Amino acid sequence: MNTKTIAMGDTPRAAIDAVRAGLAGTGYICGDSIATAVYLAKCLDKPVLIEGPPGVGKTELANATAEYLDKPLIRMQCYEGLDEAKALYEWKYGKQLLYTQVLKEKLGDLMQGATGLQASMDRLHEFDDTFFNEEFLEPRPLLKALWEEEGAVLLIDEIDKSDQEFEAFLLELLQDYQISIPEIGTVKAKQIPIVFLTSNNTREIGDALKRRCIHLHIPFPDTHLEQKIIESRVPDLDASMRRQLVSFVQELRTIELKKLPAVSETIDWARTLLLLHAQELDTELVRSTLNILLKFQDDIENIDAELVSMTRKAIGAR
Amino acid sequence: MTEVLSNFIRALRATDVRVSTSESIDAAAALDAVGFGDRGLLKESLSQVLAKSVDEKERFSECFDRYFFAEDMSGVEALAPAESDTNEDEQPGDAQAPNGETNGEGEGQGGGEPGELGNADRTELQIAVANAARQAGVSNIRLFTQRGMYMRRILEIIGIEALEDQIRDAPDDDGQQLSERRAQLIEEVRAQVDRQLLLYTANSWPELREQILQKTPLSSVEVRDFKFMQALVHKLAKRLVALHSRKKKIARRGHLDVRQTIRRNIEYDGLLFETVWKRKKIDRPKVIAVCDVSGSVATAARFLLLFLYSVTEVIPKVRAFAFSNQLAEITDLFQNASAEDAISFALEKYGWGSTDYGRAFEDLESMVIDDVDHRTTVLVLGDGRSNYGDPGLVSLRKIHDRARRIIWLNPEPKAFWNSGDSEMRRLSTACDRVDVCRSVQDLERLVSEIMRTAV
Repeated sequence: MNTKTIAMGDTPRAAIDAVRAGLAGTGYICGDSIATAVYLAKCLDKPVLIEGPPGVGKTELANATAEYLDKPLIRMQCYEGLDEAKALYEWKYGKQLLYTQVLKEKLGDLMQGATGLQASMDRLHEFDDTFFNEEFLEPRPLLKALWEEEGAVLLIDEIDKSDQEFEAFLLELLQDYQISIPEIGTVKAKQIPIVFLTSNNTREIGDALKRRCIHLHIPFPDTHLEQKIIESRVPDLDASMRRQLVSFVQELRTIELKKLPAVSETIDWARTLLLLHAQELDTELVRSTLNILLKFQDDIENIDAELVSMTRKAIGAR
Repeated sequence: MTEVLSNFIRALRATDVRVSTSESIDAAAALDAVGFGDRGLLKESLSQVLAKSVDEKERFSECFDRYFFAEDMSGVEALAPAESDTNEDEQPGDAQAPNGETNGEGEGQGGGEPGELGNADRTELQIAVANAARQAGVSNIRLFTQRGMYMRRILEIIGIEALEDQIRDAPDDDGQQLSERRAQLIEEVRAQVDRQLLLYTANSWPELREQILQKTPLSSVEVRDFKFMQALVHKLAKRLVALHSRKKKIARRGHLDVRQTIRRNIEYDGLLFETVWKRKKIDRPKVIAVCDVSGSVATAARFLLLFLYSVTEVIPKVRAFAFSNQLAEITDLFQNASAEDAISFALEKYGWGSTDYGRAFEDLESMVIDDVDHRTTVLVLGDGRSNYGDPGLVSLRKIHDRARRIIWLNPEPKAFWNSGDSEMRRLSTACDRVDVCRSVQDLERLVSEIMRTAV
């Protein structure tokens, strides 16, 4: 096994706490549910389908897990039109063509001494399997993940952006950790990778896929957790400022907006405020930096009127 | 363990969380990994393995709490240290039975022993009832009418007859006491059966209502069912999306896919033997939907709009219009507001007037004619009653000439068409298809047809 694995130690509770601590060690602060999902993924050898609003750390979880387990992260970004050739493998055509050229030239030498058609064919058959073999295979992310000797963390990002056909094609991989290449046969995983799939729910993921996955929904973090995240990501920011900005963001999420600010935006904002050497939130400061939190002009205009009261409330927050 | 889990999964299914067999196996594996030791952990793990969407997670959480209710877990925690690692079948299983008893007795002991039944204290009574309930197979209960039967069965197993004999034979004082005992017992059994009924049939009433509502004419659905209807229509829309979101591909001749061709022909030593042509994906159809919200269709209008709203969610390129005497585009409204807000707003603003199809179709022509092409399907929802005014046939025909087709869906039954001020006969000459659309079922069928034959 690997140098670092998820400890299957004494009690499940201890193991899950260990996972959480391990993730925290890489700077990824999470609650019980996320740690449980990682633990279960390892125990059941099942992929994890992560859903949730954008920017809550779905992709980041894969990064953190890879770092924690000290395994390579192989990432595949999905998009419309993604096909096997880009996701799985491709033949190295150039090399194959060259090979045929070489073969042609050497054919005379090879055939020397062979008399009659039968003998020549027999001689030739000794070579035929070399053409479609792993030498000429160009591995793409999925195949790479299976080939990884020490196991890997495979991240299939934004699966909802890919076509339905592609989703169906993933099923074999996700169920048995193997893929079929017609010319070679099935390739099995050398070591079962930990697979994360993320989805922003732009379309409904098929039942077949969901059935094969552990389903993890990451919501926006609560105040306490978000403060801890900021503390870990922007350690230089002082505590009172952190409390204020987190409670401001939490307040913001209760308002009807086109796009709610996510954790990644809170972190960006914290960094900005740190850069500006802000000591305390005030309306002017918030107004001038609001475009980091809100990405729609409509949203910014909409909350402008409430800015003063919201800021005051955030400053007063404990 | 397996019995607890499978009963729990049955209860989950009853609350409309879909659980497949493979997921049950996963759940068992997750249970092995996590154990019964920690309630929070157990809930979280099972939820991740069994509930696969946010909705389902909510229902799961409710069902979990009902099934493993708190007092139950406290008993389990007491047992936990001994078994959290091992997870052997029987112990935790029985301890967690949905009835809320930690039982030390094995199966089958619930029956018989009428003498003890007479002086058992409450906890013992509950345990006996729980065991008898399991023996009677109460978890199979499906309808509230089965309550009596199951109660009788449990009472028989538990030995009520023996108790009754005792009461008959006993002297007055003791008999009185025993009668009280019997009343308690019956009460306990009733509570037990009711709990099970609640657990396993939580969803059967909505399911039944759903089935009935699907067939009810739109105009006779009551307003209080609107919320429910909304969910129903939304479900329908989602199903349609799933069915039809697959884009159709057509092969286009004339463009060689060089990469694919070379790859395909490598086995022929690079000779171009087979050709591969580039394929083009065709987008889903464009739809223009027009909805009559006037007084004459008032009762159905709400649902027609609801349907229209769902259509805009299903098909990406939909322009929606509403009119009674004046046409207005409501595409933006539908895209930005929630179904309920959008519909009541549209009704308030455009609804309840008297119909003027002539004016409406004229407006429609001027607003959309440039957007109508051979890929456009025009959908009209209305009763075709124009108050003896101009039905706007000229404009409609102009649109018809350009559009791929016009489909008219009428919420009135066919017998009423052409009676009074209905202009369906004339209007239908400018339509490719005219259909009755009275219930959600009709809607589903029609939309499915539209989408299948589109492109």
